[in-house]
Amino acid sequence: MTQGKLQGLTKAVDVYKNRYKRLRELRAEGKKIMGYVCAYPPLEIVTALGYIPFRILGTMDEPITKADTQVPAIICPMLRSMLDLGINGKIDFLDGFIGAHTCDCTQKFSHLYQYNMQLPFYRFLDVPHVVHKPSLDFMKEGIRILQQSLEKHTGQKLAPERLQEEIKKHNEQRALVRQLYGLRKQDPPLLSGVETLQIVLSLLCLPIEEGSTMLREIIAEVKSRPQKIQKKHARLLLWGTPLTETSIVEMIESADANVVMDDICTGTRHFGLDVELTADPLDGLAKRYLDDLKCPRTYREATDSFAADQEARFGYIAKYVRDWKVNGIILESMKYCDTHGYEVPAIKAYFDRLGIPSLYLEHEYTMVALAPLKTRVEAFVEMIS
Amino acid sequence: MIAEKKKGVITRLESAGLVRPLVNKMYSEGNLAAEEGRPVAWAMVNWWEGDIIMRAMGVTPVYPENYGTVCASDGIVQKYMGVSAAEGFPTHLCGYAQNALGYTTEMKKEGQVPPDAPMGGMAKPTFMLCSEGMCDARYKWFQSLRQYWDVPIWTLSFPHPDFYDLQDESIHQINIDYMAAEIEGFIAFLEGLLKKKIDYDKLEEMLANQEKVFQVWWEINDLRRAIPCPVHGRDFWTMMVPCLYQAYDPQTLAVYQAVYKEVKERVDNGVGALSEERYRLLFAEIPPWASLGFFDKLAERGWNFVAESMGYHPPPPMELPGNGDIKQRIARWTYWFYISHVYRASKKGYYIAGAAQPYYNWAIEYKADGMLIHPVVTCRTATFWLTHTINVLKEKLEIPGLSIQGDIVDITLFDAASALNQAPAFEEAMDHFRQVRKTKGLDW
Amino acid sequence: MNFAGIDIGSTMTKIVIINESGIVSQVIGPTGAEHRRLANKVMEQALTQGGITFDDLTYVVATGYGRINVPFADKQITEITCHAKGVASIFPTAKTVIDIGGQDAKGIKIVGGKVVNFVMNDKCAAGTGRFLEVISDALGLGLQEIGPLALQSKTKIRISSTCTIFAEQEVLSKLADGAPIEDILAGLHEAIAGRVFRMAEKMKIERDVVMTGGVAKNVGMVQAMENHLGYPVLVAEEPLLTGAIGAAILGREFVEKALQRGEEIQKGARLLEAASFFK
Repeated sequence: MTQGKLQGLTKAVDVYKNRYKRLRELRAEGKKIMGYVCAYPPLEIVTALGYIPFRILGTMDEPITKADTQVPAIICPMLRSMLDLGINGKIDFLDGFIGAHTCDCTQKFSHLYQYNMQLPFYRFLDVPHVVHKPSLDFMKEGIRILQQSLEKHTGQKLAPERLQEEIKKHNEQRALVRQLYGLRKQDPPLLSGVETLQIVLSLLCLPIEEGSTMLREIIAEVKSRPQKIQKKHARLLLWGTPLTETSIVEMIESADANVVMDDICTGTRHFGLDVELTADPLDGLAKRYLDDLKCPRTYREATDSFAADQEARFGYIAKYVRDWKVNGIILESMKYCDTHGYEVPAIKAYFDRLGIPSLYLEHEYTMVALAPLKTRVEAFVEMIS
Repeated sequence: MIAEKKKGVITRLESAGLVRPLVNKMYSEGNLAAEEGRPVAWAMVNWWEGDIIMRAMGVTPVYPENYGTVCASDGIVQKYMGVSAAEGFPTHLCGYAQNALGYTTEMKKEGQVPPDAPMGGMAKPTFMLCSEGMCDARYKWFQSLRQYWDVPIWTLSFPHPDFYDLQDESIHQINIDYMAAEIEGFIAFLEGLLKKKIDYDKLEEMLANQEKVFQVWWEINDLRRAIPCPVHGRDFWTMMVPCLYQAYDPQTLAVYQAVYKEVKERVDNGVGALSEERYRLLFAEIPPWASLGFFDKLAERGWNFVAESMGYHPPPPMELPGNGDIKQRIARWTYWFYISHVYRASKKGYYIAGAAQPYYNWAIEYKADGMLIHPVVTCRTATFWLTHTINVLKEKLEIPGLSIQGDIVDITLFDAASALNQAPAFEEAMDHFRQVRKTKGLDW
Repeated sequence: MNFAGIDIGSTMTKIVIINESGIVSQVIGPTGAEHRRLANKVMEQALTQGGITFDDLTYVVATGYGRINVPFADKQITEITCHAKGVASIFPTAKTVIDIGGQDAKGIKIVGGKVVNFVMNDKCAAGTGRFLEVISDALGLGLQEIGPLALQSKTKIRISSTCTIFAEQEVLSKLADGAPIEDILAGLHEAIAGRVFRMAEKMKIERDVVMTGGVAKNVGMVQAMENHLGYPVLVAEEPLLTGAIGAAILGREFVEKALQRGEEIQKGARLLEAASFFK
C-alpha cells in the first residue's frame, strides 16, 4: 500500500519510520523535491514554484562511515550524519537544495553538500545573526534573490498574489500544529512527547496539504481515543538542538515524566508562528523567518542590560512554561553545538530566577549509551517530585 | 659578520623585530586607557571594519581572543578554563572564549584584574564589539560575557555569500550596502553611548593608512612566490599582528615598508629564508603558537612554509568597482577580504574550488609541494574546511597533505615529536607527487 | 518492620537493613562482572548477619548503576537521591555531597534531606577513582597506600594531561626523570580533586561538605579536596554505605507515608534469586 493512502497517526508513524518513502512515491509520479536545511529557508516560495520541500536531517540510527573523509569529528554530529547520508547515496531523490547560514557548521555544510551532490538547483540563504533594521532588509533581499533564481530555474514567474495564497496554506498547517500542541496542555496530555515528535518529523517529509490533512485526522483521532497517557507529576519542556529520532524523548518519558512542550527546531521552532500577510509578501517572510523564528543562533541584542537580554532570549519560553503548566525543563544539546552550548548558563540562571528547575543533558546524537542520561533524568524527576 | 648558517635553519627577517614594540603597545594601551579614564572596548577581530570606527571615536580596543594566546603561553589558561567549566559552559566551546569567560569571572570576583593575570590582564570594558564574521563564537561568547560585564554590546553583521553565489556579480553591492548600513548603525550606537560625534577626517586619514598597509603587506607576501621563498611562515605569524589590529597606525606602515625593503633585497639576490629549500609548504589554519619551534625542526629538513593562515592575510589590491562614502569604502575592503580568492580565481580562469580556493590559488601561485593542516579541537571554524582542502589539493593538483592535531589553548595536545616522526614519510609523498604533477603537465 | 537498601555500584554492592532502632546489618561485597546476577548472594549475607529472613523485609529499594535489574527490589531510586538522604541522616548539617566512585563522580546539593541540585561526571575517567586505579597500578602501588604517601609530599608536581591514558605516560616519565613518588601522587590527587571541585562548583558548593564513595577513604583525596574548599570536609565512618542507607530510609519513608494515607503498598515480584537475562 502506498504511504499516500495511510491516514492519521498510522501514517505519521509510518512516515517517521520510512522518511523517504512518500517522497520517492511522489517523485515517481513526476513531482519535484527541494531539499533544505534548518527552519530558515522560506518554504512558501519553494512550494509556490512547484516543489515539495524536504528538510534534510541526520539520523541517530546509523554510524558515520564516509563523512570523516571530508570533515573533522568535532563538528555537529547531525551535520556529519547529513553529509554521510548524502555521500552514501541515501538521499537520491532531490531536484534541488537550499542551504542556509544558520550556524557556522550549517553554512559550511551547505556548501560542502552541494559540492558533493551537484544538484541542478542550489541557492544559499545568507541569514544575518542579528535583527537590526538593515538585517531585515538584507534578509528580504536574500529571499527575493532566492525567488528570482528559482523562477529562472523553473521558467515560471511567481506573482505576489500566488505567493500570498501559498503563505496562507503554510499558515494553515502551522495553526494545525499549534492546535495539536494545545492538546498537551491538559493533565495528563492527550498525546505524548514521543508521538508529537513522530508527527513533526513526518510533516517534514510530506507535501504541505498532505501534512495538513494528516494533522486534521490526527487531532480528531487523539481527541476521541481513550486516554492512554498516564498522569505524572513531572510535566517537562524540552529545549535544545534538533531531535531526529524519538529515543531521547522515549527515555525521558520512561523516567516517570511527560514531555508536554518543546522549544526545538524539530518542534515549535519550525512551526510556531505564522507569516504575516503583508502587501509585499517578502516583508512578511523576512520578518517571520529572521525575527519571529526563535533560535539561539539569532542575537537579539537588548542593549539595556543582561536581564533585558535574557528576557529577549528566553521570555517566550517562560510563556510556554506557564501555558503548558511545565514544572521542569530539560536542556538537551548534542555535543559540539556552540549555538546552544553558550546559552546554557544564561538560560539556567533565567529559569532558576523564575523558580523552574532545569537539567542540562549533553548527548552524542546516538541511540546508544542513554543509561547515564537516564540516571540524570530520573534523579531530576525525583528532585522535582 | 655573517655567522655561518646552519644547514636548513630559518634565516629570520631582521626587520620582523620591529613588530615587537607595536605588539607591546597593543597590549599596554588598553590598561593605560582604563587608567586614564578613556573608553575601552572588548572587541573581536573584525577585519578592519570596526576597529577603525572605534579609533576614530577615541576608543581603545582590547582583544580577548588574542589574550587567549597570551594565557595559553603563560599556562594560566587551564585555570581559567576550569573556572569557565564551573560556570556551566560546555568544554567543547572555543578555547579563547572559555579563557575569557574564566578570566572575567575571576576579575569580577576579585573586583579588579586578577593578580596572576599575565601582561597586566584586560581592563574592564566600557562596551563590547562583536563581529559575526566567520565564526559564531564571536558573538555568542560576547553575549555570554554580558552576564558578567553588564555593558552595552554591538554586533557588526557580516555577510557570508556562498562560494557558488559569488559568480553572480550583482550580489557584491547588496552585501556591501548591508555592511555599510551596519557600520552606520555602529557609528550611531557609539555616538549615542559616548555622547560625541565621530571624527570623519580622522577616519579618512586612518582608512588611507589602512589601504597603504594592505598594499605593502600584500606585496611582501606576493614576493614570497619567489623560488627560493624569502620569508618563512614563522616570520609571517610574527609580522601579521600589526596589520590585523593596527592597520590604521602610521607606525605600522613604516614597519612594513622596512620589511618590504629587506624582503625585496632578498628576492633580488635570490636569497631564501632557508639555506636549502627542498620543499615548499602551505599551512592552515591556526598555528600551534606554543610549539613554533616545531617549524625550525622541519626547516632543518628543508621545509619552507611559503603561504599560510588565510584568515590573517591582508586583502589583495582592490578589484571590486565602486567608491561611495567612507562607510562603503571601509565595508568594501572587509568584504573583499572575504571573497577575493574566489573572485580572482574565477577571473583568472582557475577552477572554482569554493571553500578550498585560497589554498588552491596559493598552491598554484606559490608552487607548493605539500600542505600541513592543524585541526584544532576547540575551533570548528578553523578546522571544518581543512580535510576538504587537502582533499581538493590532492584531487585537482596532485599535492599531498599532512594532518597534525592540536588545540588553540590546550597546548599539550600538539605532539611535536610524533609529528616529526611523520616527516620522512611525508617527504616521500611530496617527492612522489612531484613526479605525478610532471606527468600531468603541472609545472612544479 | 525492616527496610533494605541495596546499592549496586560498578565495583561494590552494598546492602543496609534498618528497622525502627537503626541499622540491623550492613554488608559490602564485590559486584563482579555479572553484578545483576549475584546481588541476591550479598542480600542473603545481609539477612544472615541481621538474623532475619527475606520475608521479614517490608520494603526493598535498589539504587546504583545496577538498580534496574534487581529481581527482589520493590522500587528503584537513583543514587543521587539515595546518597542525599543517607548523608543527611548521618550529617544533618550537610549542604553539599561530593561522591567520587570508581567510575563516576557526583555533586549533590541538599536542603532538608532533599536534593535541590546535582551534577555528574560519568563520561571521563580522569575525574574518578578509575584515574587513581590506573596510575597506582602503573606505579605498582595499592590503592590504600597512595593516600598516605601523597600526604608526605612537600611540593606537589602538576599533572598536566587531561586524559587518564596520557596522564599515565606523563607520570611514568616524570618518575623516570627522578621525581619523588609522593610529589607525583600529590599532583595526581590534586588533578582529580580539581576536576571534581570544578564540576561541583557548578552548583555553588556550600558547607558542610560531605565526601562519600570509595575514594573518600583516601586521606590524600580528602586533603586535596579540603585544599580547594579552604575548610574541612566531613567523611562518614563507612563512606561506601551512604547510598544503601539512604535507599533503606527512603523505603521506610515511602511505607510510612502509605500507611498514614491508608494506601496499599505495591511491592515488586520479590524473587530472591540470581537475575537472569532471559526472564
